[in-house]
Amino acid sequence: MSRNIETKALIIGGGVAGIQAALDIADGGYQVILVERTPSIGGHMVQLSEVFPTLDCPQCILTPKMVMCGQHPNIDIKAYCEIESVTGEVGNFTVKIRHKATYVDWDACTGCGQCEQKCPTKVPSEFDRWLDFGPRKAIYSPFAQAVPNKRVIDADHCLKLTKDKCGICAKVCPTQAIRYDQKDWFEEVKVGAIIVATGYELYKKENLTEYATDPDVIDGLEFERILCPSGPTAGVVKRPSDSKEPLDVVFVQCAGSRDPDKHLPYCSRVCCMYCCKMAMLYKHAVPDGQAYIFYIDVRTDGKGYEEFYQRGVEEDRIVYLRGKVSKIFRQGEKIVVFGMDTLTGKRVEVEADLVVLAMAMIPDPAGEKVRKILNLKTDDYGFITEAHAKLHPVETGIDGIFVAGTAQAPKDIPETVAQAGGAASKVLSLFSGYERGKASKAEELAG
Amino acid sequence: MKPRIGVFVCHCGLNIAASVDVSEVTKAIRDYPGVVYAQDYIYMCSDPGQALVRKAIREKNLTGLVMSNCSPSLHERTFRNLAASEGLNPYLVEVANIREYCSWPHQGDKETATKKALTIIKATIERVKRNQALIPLVVPLQKRVLILGGGVAGMQTALDIAEGGYPVTILEKEAYLGGHVRQLDRTFVTMDSAQDLAGEMIDRTLNQPNIEVLTTAEIGGISGYVGNFEVQIRQQVSWVDPERCNGCEACIAACPVEVPSTFDRGLVTKKAIDWTPGERPGEKRIFLDHQACVRVTRQESCTACQEACEKGAISYPEDRLIEQTYGAIVVATGHDLYQKSALTEYATDPDVLDALQFERLLSENGPTGGKVLRPSDGKEPKEVVFVQCAGSRDPDKHFPYCSKVCCMYTCKEARRYKEKVPDGQAYIFFIDVRATGKGYEEFVKESVQKERLLYLKGKVSKIARQGDKLLVLGGDTITGYQVEIEADLVVLAMATVPSPGAKDLARLLNVNTDAYGFIQEAHPKLAPVETLTAGIYLAGTSQAPKDIPHAIYQASGAASKILSLFSRKELIHEPLVAHVDTEICAGCGYCHDNCAYQAVEVNPIKKKAVVNEALCEGCGACATACPSGAIQVRNLDSKQVFDMISVVTQEYSLRP
Repeated sequence: MSRNIETKALIIGGGVAGIQAALDIADGGYQVILVERTPSIGGHMVQLSEVFPTLDCPQCILTPKMVMCGQHPNIDIKAYCEIESVTGEVGNFTVKIRHKATYVDWDACTGCGQCEQKCPTKVPSEFDRWLDFGPRKAIYSPFAQAVPNKRVIDADHCLKLTKDKCGICAKVCPTQAIRYDQKDWFEEVKVGAIIVATGYELYKKENLTEYATDPDVIDGLEFERILCPSGPTAGVVKRPSDSKEPLDVVFVQCAGSRDPDKHLPYCSRVCCMYCCKMAMLYKHAVPDGQAYIFYIDVRTDGKGYEEFYQRGVEEDRIVYLRGKVSKIFRQGEKIVVFGMDTLTGKRVEVEADLVVLAMAMIPDPAGEKVRKILNLKTDDYGFITEAHAKLHPVETGIDGIFVAGTAQAPKDIPETVAQAGGAASKVLSLFSGYERGKASKAEELAG
Repeated sequence: MKPRIGVFVCHCGLNIAASVDVSEVTKAIRDYPGVVYAQDYIYMCSDPGQALVRKAIREKNLTGLVMSNCSPSLHERTFRNLAASEGLNPYLVEVANIREYCSWPHQGDKETATKKALTIIKATIERVKRNQALIPLVVPLQKRVLILGGGVAGMQTALDIAEGGYPVTILEKEAYLGGHVRQLDRTFVTMDSAQDLAGEMIDRTLNQPNIEVLTTAEIGGISGYVGNFEVQIRQQVSWVDPERCNGCEACIAACPVEVPSTFDRGLVTKKAIDWTPGERPGEKRIFLDHQACVRVTRQESCTACQEACEKGAISYPEDRLIEQTYGAIVVATGHDLYQKSALTEYATDPDVLDALQFERLLSENGPTGGKVLRPSDGKEPKEVVFVQCAGSRDPDKHFPYCSKVCCMYTCKEARRYKEKVPDGQAYIFFIDVRATGKGYEEFVKESVQKERLLYLKGKVSKIARQGDKLLVLGGDTITGYQVEIEADLVVLAMATVPSPGAKDLARLLNVNTDAYGFIQEAHPKLAPVETLTAGIYLAGTSQAPKDIPHAIYQASGAASKILSLFSRKELIHEPLVAHVDTEICAGCGYCHDNCAYQAVEVNPIKKKAVVNEALCEGCGACATACPSGAIQVRNLDSKQVFDMISVVTQEYSLRP
């Protein structure tokens, strides 16, 4: 009995890892289905202000790749979709995909945005990390360069869907694309290989009970949005409590990482570099401000990273303090940060206007469902276990299922891109092997 | 036909709009001769931005586009592809770079930036007016890959490509595959045997029918271009016939030449003909090292080994020369350690070792059979000091960069030492402990707790011999005290540097290196395995220091680019190349002399220059060298350049 072999790949997760893997496989001549649970591909990378060590803006370097994905004849982006079930084996997986109701007919939607402009309901924006500066509407697209450029209605907040009032979006839509009665629907696809690229989230800052839950104590991604020129403050550095320009900013590294007793024992890999970068960007935006960074070790070990860190210290006069922060509390206008400088052995007290916590990277909780469905082995923290730490770093224990990016472990963008290419090469090898097999079979039959 | 040019001005968020008054520029350019449409938008590269351009091409019947945004290296292709899909020849699209050339360098001076942006756009309009519609060149593609270096990175790339069905040649300068991993004892963090790891990969490589392995081989010369690299390979043919050799060692006894063993990092000496690691870990064979033999080094006609051999296994054949065409090349030439002699502040004592020497002492296949014995007197060292960042993170005297792997291997070596010498003490001097990979932090923590490794934050200032001991002086910046350790052995975690010869190889291949000789990738984030020379890719530590897992998945990344490349039937080359007006050309050959790509030849009979379009990168060096203007670059000829210059210099013009 001959088995039907599929030379089509499924990629779960549309961040930079998924995008890179999709492009490599598609350029190799095979079809790719790219499933993304949010309304647009891009992942966390598009939320960033600028990226180390080159200080490129992700809009400039990732948007073109997103557009290429959107236009590639071999890539089928299924945004606002989730994986429901997977059966079968390498070469022949059957995947059930849930298309979450968007309440907008995407075939008709042109992305003009008139609905969003007129929508009266404001909701905190996930893309802007729920900051008060930048709410979105109940009908929305997460950001201006979204791919696909389509709108989605948030059913939890839409007045029409919750209270049967309003209905303005349907009235203003020039293509009559609004469908309040849309339901989730399902689709089955067949693929030969799967790449899991479900990415990361930040450990919740609420977990750090030793630090206050003050509005001016924010995590790394929140500060990225505040620094971003296309972010909710248009790149003007403001603190959330009173929109004032902060003049003393304290960065706390290893917030949750390297803390086996209370939080997570592992190192989150990217915080040393992004704190240095954010401190630099902050100094460029607020030249008379001062940035302080509390650290345990400065782990700047990639190409050009050490030099970047030196630049931050020398040119931007970032003050590095070696030690952990013991207490953060509000005192009137200021947030007082207590810490130790283990090099001088003295206690340090900084009266800060803003505190940025470099929260530990954890696997995206939304990826847990995917890991369960695929039956993937993970470590204690939920990162997917590779087949062999050294020899098979992109293979999982299951034939035909590969892993890319931070779903496997914390890593930075260059490593993610290289590893995603690695996962793509396994898929390309697998598929071209199938095709040669088919060709030789055909020759045999032809005699 | 009158030109109908569309100008599109991008805000790039605030990148451009903060310094350039984009609406002012857009308004002003609408009246410029030849322009029929001008529009600005916040992100022209985004989907709605592109839709806006498409619509204008269709509705305004545009004959040329001036995209005023970021550098052409970012979005020229985006907008050319867009034009092509709307039926407009892509070579009628040019980028006016108003970001890198204008808004970024003139931040805070809106007036200057706005004026300059307008000038750049006008100049680009003049260029587009004379642009020709061009058709890309089609170049055949040889689907065969050459991999330079047979370490773990080279083998991984080879395996992925070979499994994808394409033939691969691995060139390895040593007599065996596996690179530095063959010299290691264990690998962090799993503490697996490095020999098993290398062995597994070597077995897979040797058993893969699509892979040809050429050991003791080097690249001799190269010409051609992506899809068609003509490569000359020089391979030393073994002077010992393994079929006949019975391992009696008579030749070794007879050989008059004794040299330090490179495999054992100079810890012991060996003869020019001696045992050497075999193909697979655990195997060994007798091998005559050409670099050590006086027949090569002094051109002498010594035949001592041949005379001693009863089996007639030894002869001295010439090197083998191989010529082959390859479609793509991967540079996986790896790394070396910085010479410890460069650290004049540390003694050149026999008991001061570099990390690879210490690996040899730890290894069961090493000169001590895996017993930790110090070189000077063969005693077991009870106090061992490890010094991290020896040459790294030292911009004033050595290298500014971090070597990435030393924190982890020092921890591993110290742990392994303690396993072998349980009553010994290991001290580690560090600046920062950089344990950033998966499970690395946990590994260091566990090692410290289990083996009581003593970490001291600070630099070592002096290492001096004092009788039986080595005195190590350093600072502990945490306590603020000076530390003095009487050590039996000191291990320096020397900086990772590129392999010797990497720079020459880079020159031969026409790829860039950074200030330290590591091969430069095309883009640190988005093209980390590509070089700027099409068809040449990177894997492993030739690009930058990295550990084994990172080298392996990066190597797979390089393979994926080649598998993608080979999925096409043929290659498409940009038509923006030089061409010769044979009416004017006098055959002087200046163009040939100035071409960096060997793309122009002078036909000796016709006495006319001829351009190999597949090789030409369109750099224009020939055009500037040509005394008569006979050789010109398509869509950037001298008329266009002068038109652009006259726009830029308008306010200084001498004409009334």
